[in-house]
Amino acid sequence: MLKNKRWTFIIGLLAGMGMAVVAVVTLPRLQPHTFYGTVLQSPDKAPDFELDTASGTVSLEDFRGKIVLLYFGYTFCPDICPATLAEISKAITSLGKKADEIQLMMISVDPGRDTPEMLRDYVTHFHPSFLGATGTEEEIAQVATMYGIFFEKHEGTEATGYLVDHTATVMVIDQEGHLKLVFPFGAPAQEIADDLAFLLK
Amino acid sequence: MKTIVVIPRCRNFGIIALSIFALFSIALGACQPSPKGPAISIEEAWGRPSPKVAAAGAFYMLIKNTGSEADKLVSAESPACGAVELHESYKTEEGAMGMRPVEGGYIEILPGGQAELKMGGLHIMCIEKLADFEVGAVLPLTLNFEKSGEIIIEIEIREP
Repeated sequence: MLKNKRWTFIIGLLAGMGMAVVAVVTLPRLQPHTFYGTVLQSPDKAPDFELDTASGTVSLEDFRGKIVLLYFGYTFCPDICPATLAEISKAITSLGKKADEIQLMMISVDPGRDTPEMLRDYVTHFHPSFLGATGTEEEIAQVATMYGIFFEKHEGTEATGYLVDHTATVMVIDQEGHLKLVFPFGAPAQEIADDLAFLLK
Repeated sequence: MKTIVVIPRCRNFGIIALSIFALFSIALGACQPSPKGPAISIEEAWGRPSPKVAAAGAFYMLIKNTGSEADKLVSAESPACGAVELHESYKTEEGAMGMRPVEGGYIEILPGGQAELKMGGLHIMCIEKLADFEVGAVLPLTLNFEKSGEIIIEIEIREP
């Protein structure tokens, strides 16, 4: 009698442990991915544009099949832009081989001072795959407006010359060309990497 | 089966430790000068590596004031920079990020307080970089305080 009880207990314990293991393994897979970035559900394609890079003219369509990260910044920016580009670099580097399927493009909000070559030298410091693009003042204004990016020059000091205020979000355009996510300024590399990894699945 | 737990005899130990700690505290209290004026110290001074083509770089640090009076960081200079300015990044009314010289032209550190110069906030801007901002570089920086005068520090260029 006592022996039976002991066996029941052991079998029960084993069954319980088995169920716990199954739960631990499957539950995270059943849970939907919670995006860190703000999710946009636009049925329209992200607006296309053509801009100049050090290696020629590029359009957004050239990168169909890749995830495109769009960021607006300028090379004179010593704090906000490097912080953002460094986090994105860290995020995509952590994805290993999959980093090849992601293209970051920084569009200059300072076309008056930034040349395509300067932009290339600036962005590749953070990651060799990064692209820097610019155009005429009108072209930049048009692209910024299409993506809801605000930018405005304001007077600096004698040493700095003018400075440019700019929306510092990072926009994520998926492989089919839809605007999918927006990361706020200060989004940490790990969160960016998690979202990108999910989109690459 | 019986598990034997060995408990060290530490009844006296506690009392001894407490006495040492008390003595120490008294000694420290007696030795500590009660400075009139500010007492500024700089910790964790670093600069972000930046590409050669970038005309400007940024320095970050923690400025502590353990004294009894406030002090103000009013300017800075470095042979590594054509000009040095005290700046802050801020969010504009439009939700964009902007950068401007600090209000009033100084950074105040209250007694017992600290100023944290960090990414996306207060920073020391090095305009017209004259040195390479490569990982491992060490750049001298002179901080000018209103009351404490010149404090010379080294900025280590490193990844955050």
